[in-house]
Amino acid sequence: MKTTKILIIFCVLLSLQLQAQKYFTRSGITQFEASEKAFEPIEAINSSTTVLLDTNNGNIVSQVFMAGFQFKNALMQEHFNENYMDSYQYPKATFKGKLDNFSIVSLNANNSYDLNGVLTIKGIKKNIQTIVSVKVENNRIFISGSFYVNANDFDIKIPSIIRDKIAKQIEISINYELIEKK
Amino acid sequence: MNSLKKNKSFFIIFSIMIISISIISIYQYISLAPKKVVAIIPEYSGNANEFNYLVTDNLSYWISKVVQITGKVTQVNEDGILLNGTIYCQFENKKDIQSIIENQNIVVKGKLVGFDELLMEIKLNQCIIIQ
Repeated sequence: MKTTKILIIFCVLLSLQLQAQKYFTRSGITQFEASEKAFEPIEAINSSTTVLLDTNNGNIVSQVFMAGFQFKNALMQEHFNENYMDSYQYPKATFKGKLDNFSIVSLNANNSYDLNGVLTIKGIKKNIQTIVSVKVENNRIFISGSFYVNANDFDIKIPSIIRDKIAKQIEISINYELIEKK
Repeated sequence: MNSLKKNKSFFIIFSIMIISISIISIYQYISLAPKKVVAIIPEYSGNANEFNYLVTDNLSYWISKVVQITGKVTQVNEDGILLNGTIYCQFENKKDIQSIIENQNIVVKGKLVGFDELLMEIKLNQCIIIQ
């Protein structure tokens, strides 16, 4: 009887411990850049990205709202939402993946990790493989990196008249500062 | 003859002026910066709980809309606040947050960017304090 009680208490404590192993942010920065040389810069920044990282196993999920991308130019922002991304039908892009061999204990100053996962934009899934830098400072986890995606992989139709002004390979950069989730 | 010549040159100068004015105004139009939240009339103003219900009902209608919400501050973070535990307001200017304390009633205006399924909350950005 006593041992079961102890076992139950141990399990409860363990589950509490496991729950406390999540880090997150609501204001991660995701940027993209699709400029071609000699043309107007095509870039936008989203500073409302939600990211959740499970430090027990390195699983990471993130979510970017299309309406959260801010352009310098109002017309460009309107075209992005209405013509290219169909933001009302597909309000967000998600990423589900894993930092390979992640361990918070062995993290010290600066580390590189392989990030593998599935990126979903406009309902279309695509595998992403990249290397990100991860560091811990004052109980905060900083993740940063960049990777390229193709516009036509995600059914983003670019009219022929401006096709030359938009890069085919779009660079996405991420910069997240995660705090412990209580 | 002379007056015809005069007319012609006047016409040329006039058309050049018209063309340049229109080019300048078209350029200004296409290079306009997006409107700030301050300058946009809110599509909705009211209580956080009621708004929560409206968004659950028809999310896509509210995306990108500017709204003004009255609610109780249930959490204060570095870059934003949580209203009634369900609406997260990310602030444009982090200094604004310093004056906010937990449990106070507040009116904020911001742009709805979506429903966050990871944290189960509505997300507004570019928020400003109204009251």
